[in-house]
Amino acid sequence: MIATVPLRRLSAVWIQVTGTWCNLRCTHCLNASGPLDPWLTPMATSDVERHVVDAARLGAREVYFTGGEPFLHPRILDLLAFALERMPTTVLTNGTLITERLADHLADLATGARYSLEVRVSLDDPDREANDRVRGRGAFDRALQAIARLHRRGLPAMLTATDLGTSVNGEASHYERLRQLLLAAGVAKPRIKLLPLFPVGRTANDGAPPDAEEVEGRDLGRLQCVDSRTVTSDGIYACPILAGLPEAKLGHDDLERALGPVGLTHAACRVCVETGASCRNG
Amino acid sequence: MAPTNGLAEYRRVAVFGGVYSNVHALAATLDDARARGVEAVFCLGDVGGFGPHPDRAVALLRERGVVTIQGNYDAAVAGGAADCGCGYTDPRDNHFARLSYAYTLAHTSTEHRRWLGALPPSMRVRLGPSTALLCHGSPRAVSEFLWESTTPDGMLGAMLEEARADVLLCTHSGIKWHRALGDDRHAVNVGVIGRPENDGRTNVWYTILTVAGAGLGVEFVPVAYDHERLGREMEAEGLPPEFVETVRTGWWTTCLEVLPAKERARGRF
Repeated sequence: MIATVPLRRLSAVWIQVTGTWCNLRCTHCLNASGPLDPWLTPMATSDVERHVVDAARLGAREVYFTGGEPFLHPRILDLLAFALERMPTTVLTNGTLITERLADHLADLATGARYSLEVRVSLDDPDREANDRVRGRGAFDRALQAIARLHRRGLPAMLTATDLGTSVNGEASHYERLRQLLLAAGVAKPRIKLLPLFPVGRTANDGAPPDAEEVEGRDLGRLQCVDSRTVTSDGIYACPILAGLPEAKLGHDDLERALGPVGLTHAACRVCVETGASCRNG
Repeated sequence: MAPTNGLAEYRRVAVFGGVYSNVHALAATLDDARARGVEAVFCLGDVGGFGPHPDRAVALLRERGVVTIQGNYDAAVAGGAADCGCGYTDPRDNHFARLSYAYTLAHTSTEHRRWLGALPPSMRVRLGPSTALLCHGSPRAVSEFLWESTTPDGMLGAMLEEARADVLLCTHSGIKWHRALGDDRHAVNVGVIGRPENDGRTNVWYTILTVAGAGLGVEFVPVAYDHERLGREMEAEGLPPEFVETVRTGWWTTCLEVLPAKERARGRF
């Protein structure tokens, strides 16, 4: 039997601003993003703004801009500014488009805002070759450069790494190697977020979802579906991992009407239940 | 206006959190607050952790009649939990959190653990016409961090509404802030007196709240104390040099993972 979890409160709203449109095509991408024919289309600026306003009105704590690659959105800086006027805002990026000029804009935006702007830059492996085998040639250098550029401007970006090994919460060695990598690049305030690999998108397998009996008695407080929702151009979903999958769809385009209970229907749900991993910054 | 029936009422109070075993800062804060004519003193929890000789701070709080709320550290120490409950995922932060917690647990007496275990998780009082909710992290969770840069107005409004209060007083994060929300509603993170607030200064901070007409005055008060003596005591107890460095320099060196971008940017590490 499938477990069902109610929403405790709406705390985070994830917005897939560019759908699955990305300039990279990582082999482990959880929503199979890429440069050609995104299966989830980028969102209109006015739709993103409407959902940010709703999130703030509903008492949410923070908003996350994701994709795809958010910096492909033609109005991304305006959207970040709009969101930051209302609530803490995080943008999840591969960092490859963060030029000196864009870094200037982001640092100015962060300094001027009353809430925190968090920039999370994906870089999975401290070894350049290993990283680029997964993320594509040049991804390592450009991501590291983006983090260094932002740090130089006083914006302490956060490195987000998917743990491609077997360790679930991240071995200290993997973490420590990433930390040393950042320090060697002149990043004096290394911030690292480790995430497990989810069996969805390009790494989907035929694993089973967790059974209701397995879920019973566990602390489910860190599950995204317990306190967040994800908005895409195609509807509103239970969590950022399962955005776009029909079984995780909760509503069409109104956040307030997508707050019902969620079934843990996917093999990826098992990863959240078993590891307690959270996609959120904390 | 929230219901106020039967609650203790005050017009001028001192409030702080995070003693972190710093008995010298605690003594200095209590003397300072008394000299400023407060009617009562409240501690919003986390009596132990970080510093040396946790029993000394507990004894002083009890002796001076400080009204104390239970923090996550107090609940963990009282119950002999596996860790402090701060929820770190960074292995380096966890390393230092474990050292701090193991020391505190081993050096808190059974009698003091019983006292910490019996503390209330929250409390309501009247500040003139306003109802204040006193809690450790947030009204929703003892370990929820309310940082200035990650706590939006809309969420604070929802919290006050749920708590049926006009004023929210919390601590836990270690850095003070105040936000006026309109209609005489306020949210105040009262800061901590156990360690400096990551600004390169060695003093700590507490908060004085004063009823002024229909409104509320919020004043942050710096407190200097003998931090060199605390540092020497920490060294004698074998606590990590990284903790002592924080006391001596005013910069945080550990448990940095939980800091949001804005607050992290202001520190040295």
